[in-house]
Amino acid sequence: MASSSYSNSPCAACKFLRRKCMPDCIFAPYFPPEEPQKFANVHKIFGASNVSKLLNEVLPHQREDAVNSLAYEAEARIKDPVYGCVGAISVLQRHVLRLQKELEATNADLMRYACNENMPAPTSQFGRRMGHGAGSYGQSSGLYYSSPWNNNQPSCEDSQERGGEGNNMQG
Amino acid sequence: MTLKGGTSHACAACKYQRRRCSAECPLAPYFPAEQPKLFQNAHKLFGVRNMLKILEHLEPSQKNEAMWSIICQANIRDKSPVYGCWGITRQLQYQVLLAEEELQAVNAQLEMYRQQHQQHQQQISSMPIDMTSQLELGMAPPSNALSLFNHTPQPYNVVPALPVTQQQQSYSNSSKAGYNSSAFMDTKDNAANPFWVQHSFANNNNNSMATFQSQLAASQPLAIQQVVQDYDEMHPFFDTIDDRQSYIDSKEAYESSSEESLKDTNQSIEHVAENELKSAAACFSLTSVN
Repeated sequence: MASSSYSNSPCAACKFLRRKCMPDCIFAPYFPPEEPQKFANVHKIFGASNVSKLLNEVLPHQREDAVNSLAYEAEARIKDPVYGCVGAISVLQRHVLRLQKELEATNADLMRYACNENMPAPTSQFGRRMGHGAGSYGQSSGLYYSSPWNNNQPSCEDSQERGGEGNNMQG
Repeated sequence: MTLKGGTSHACAACKYQRRRCSAECPLAPYFPAEQPKLFQNAHKLFGVRNMLKILEHLEPSQKNEAMWSIICQANIRDKSPVYGCWGITRQLQYQVLLAEEELQAVNAQLEMYRQQHQQHQQQISSMPIDMTSQLELGMAPPSNALSLFNHTPQPYNVVPALPVTQQQQSYSNSSKAGYNSSAFMDTKDNAANPFWVQHSFANNNNNSMATFQSQLAASQPLAIQQVVQDYDEMHPFFDTIDDRQSYIDSKEAYESSSEESLKDTNQSIEHVAENELKSAAACFSLTSVN
């Protein structure tokens, strides 16, 4: 991370906001002047005030990660104003589920070859174990977070059907 | 604050801002008064003005989806102030990589079994010719061995998997170790990371998503390892079957055709074969005369 606290060049945040970059500028360590777009995105989506409050709430050694995550989310929201980074999460979740199902089916095939018809009892052990594992995979559904509304409202569980495809550049 | 002459309450957004909630309040549909935390999180991350800016450029049909994603994003940020959605994305990417590697390994194992199965089928079809030659040499097994002939290739098929499975275990372990040592979550707050992921599972979604993730992380590599270990456990089982004698004698026929590969297989079977050879010979001398 570049620090402009002791240099003449203001940080990207202070450049954007057209203000004097003080030595104790909270943005300076994380928004170097060489990356103006980073702060521009974050400011556009979240606002400098909110980012400043967020950074003040986390420990100093966590601020770089916090800024990077905000920059990622801001860029995702600019690219996809409807779903933002939540769309990517939805796509990844479905991918994981699809891979799990495929793994389950392949493991079942493997069991059939490993314990072919002439084998007695041990087959049941495999069936119980894989059944348990398969059951837990099969039960997985929905997203990590609950519905923001109670009834008659779109829920996060429905996002698997709608998340990720809406890359509309509306603005 | 209630509407004039109305019975409806102000939405959580207007309540928070302490202003009158009109019928045209754009945020009222998304922030019910009974869930103030939703708006607090969204307001903390985005702010009212930024949320409205996002909404004003969207079609009416997209506004619900957009607000839902904003609220989700804000809730995630509330639970994980440092990493937010970025942390979940990286976690999922890691899970995808793990699952793909595992699938690749299992497919390789499956392919190996398929090939062995095909070879086994070919050997069964060709074996009677060898058996005939053994008879001519006076080394034929007892008569009941032929009916149990189909059982004999099984440990032969299973055991060669041992070196492969050992590789499998090391493959899974090394891949996991490699990912664990990577800095994808270059966190200075390691103790909190697994907590917040599990925390969000436990609090927000009471279904088995938590179970799903823990199962994914812990049991997928173990499933294959457990299968491999069970193969080892199966070998003593073969030693205890009633047709052990005939099994061992028919195994000698195998050795004549594929001696090198059998020597690499189960040592216990060979040991038993040596011990049983005398009794087998004695049996043969009593029954082989036609």
